[in-house]
Amino acid sequence: MSYIECRKLTRAFHKGDTVIKPLRDLDLDIEEGMFLALMGPSGSGKTTLLNLLAGIDTATSGSLKIGGIELTSMPRSRLASWRADTIGYIFQLYNLVPVLTAYENVELPLLLHNYSKKERHAKVSLALDLVGLADRYDHYPRQLSGGQEQRVAIARAIVGDPKIIVADEPTGDLDAAAAAATMAMLKRLNIEFKKTMIMVTHDPKTAAVAQKTLHLEKGQLIENNA
Amino acid sequence: MKLIPWDYAVRNLGRNTMRLAMSLGGSALVALLILSAAAFVRGMERSMKVSGNAKNVLLIGAGSEESLERSEIGNGVASIVAASVQGIKTQLGVPYISPEVQMAALIRLEKEDPESYLSLFRGVTPSAYLVHPQVRITEGRSPGANEILVGRLASARLGIPDAKLAIGKTIWFDGRPWTVSGRFEAPNTVMEAEIWSPLKDLQIATRRDNVSTVVITLDDAEIDDIKDFCQQRLDLELVAVSESDYYAKLAQFYRPVQGIVWITAILIALGGMFGGLNTMYAAFAARTRELGMLQVLGYGRFALIANLMQESLIIAAAGGLIAVAAGFALLDGLAVRITMGAFGLAVDTTVIVSALAAAFALGIIGALPPALQCLRMPIAEALKK
Repeated sequence: MSYIECRKLTRAFHKGDTVIKPLRDLDLDIEEGMFLALMGPSGSGKTTLLNLLAGIDTATSGSLKIGGIELTSMPRSRLASWRADTIGYIFQLYNLVPVLTAYENVELPLLLHNYSKKERHAKVSLALDLVGLADRYDHYPRQLSGGQEQRVAIARAIVGDPKIIVADEPTGDLDAAAAAATMAMLKRLNIEFKKTMIMVTHDPKTAAVAQKTLHLEKGQLIENNA
Repeated sequence: MKLIPWDYAVRNLGRNTMRLAMSLGGSALVALLILSAAAFVRGMERSMKVSGNAKNVLLIGAGSEESLERSEIGNGVASIVAASVQGIKTQLGVPYISPEVQMAALIRLEKEDPESYLSLFRGVTPSAYLVHPQVRITEGRSPGANEILVGRLASARLGIPDAKLAIGKTIWFDGRPWTVSGRFEAPNTVMEAEIWSPLKDLQIATRRDNVSTVVITLDDAEIDDIKDFCQQRLDLELVAVSESDYYAKLAQFYRPVQGIVWITAILIALGGMFGGLNTMYAAFAARTRELGMLQVLGYGRFALIANLMQESLIIAAAGGLIAVAAGFALLDGLAVRITMGAFGLAVDTTVIVSALAAAFALGIIGALPPALQCLRMPIAEALKK
């Protein structure tokens, strides 16, 4: 059995009388520790799939099991705590809280758990060290470059030691050098820390870092390249 | 359920200085408005309550129970009561019986002053100080011939600078000068807005040979004893009214005014509340993506609502405190003119609690709908904002 199993996964939206299905009857298996890239044109359903896998959206029909847990029928409150335990999310636009320092931004997910201040400090320090920002603890997002902000966002995604890291266009807002550094970091997380990585990207160069790339079009898988 | 740290809410306040200033100003204004209305009502109620002494009975001319100024009773009533009724309070053999003339009179500050001011005069004898123990001469002395004793709020009642009624100053009434011999206070009573003069002088000036009322302080006697006396001496055409009841009735007369004050304050406060709602909608809507991100991390909607409410309530509390401070500095004791005199606005515990409650209500009502609106949005959609 795969770590992530999607069976006939469908997501539909109602817009007036019209039903839009960004994802339809999708079957997909993702093994634990896999680095998967999702590609496809705008509106192909890749972000919808990523959101379903991250537990921030729920499927209209079908089944989605992660680690043996069925997500489609999980109530919203349980889904929130499941996300806190299982998912690390990296956004294209970093989404750091501007009034918090790098340290405090990274600490945010840990506040959902019963860690002592000392434990939190150890985890945040480790995460910031891992992304190479040990000297930027007290910096606010406005005092950091785009690449540094994304590294803080990565530290925030990994600080709780989640099993899965999802990334939505993680290099979309970065220059080439920062993008390369970010991808190297994600690759390292996948290889060294055995994190299952699922990434949405438009950029084939970025996708090339992944072990596997899936192409979506009109809500369905059209290609499967190992 | 885990909440977002408190200081996150505090720091969020500093994101937009202009918005913070607007929210704070709006909140303070609404609280100040409610505080003003409450201080007005409380001040008026206190003034009516304190003015009436439960042990005092007013003898008034039959048919004039509604207004002391219209009442006329004989000059000799005071001595007849003293001789006829037992149980009236005395001090060193002097009964607590005070014949008084109460009237509104036009005064001028200069002899040829084209402007005149409607003032409240009370003609008194020394026994007035016995039946009105609240009265305390703070400066100067009690008035002699053609002299007056001026209440603390008299200048406010007349709408003139207080210095115009300082000791030694002169006012003109009935074509002759009256010199200020002293000043008095009678905290929280309507008497503070009055001008007192010797009874005889006022009677001569107004060409009257009667008094408006006789105020009696009871010792063992009951008000019914005084009522019995009025029944026995029908020729005197008197009615006996407890001083407390008289002022309670007067307070009843001002109830509609208090109602209008409340309604006006609440309507303006509602306007402020809608303004607050608008500001909060803008403030929270600008952070929709961030709120989405916090949900992605695992924070529940209740935690986020609690956090947004914290922000709003911090502003509300600060606004409320500013209003209370401004109320103390600018409004407490401020004289308000009404037809029967003047009273001081009262910023007391009840008023402060009302203002803070209004501020908190604004904080909750102003923030809850925008917070719910923002968080009703699906997370995936919020992240696109």
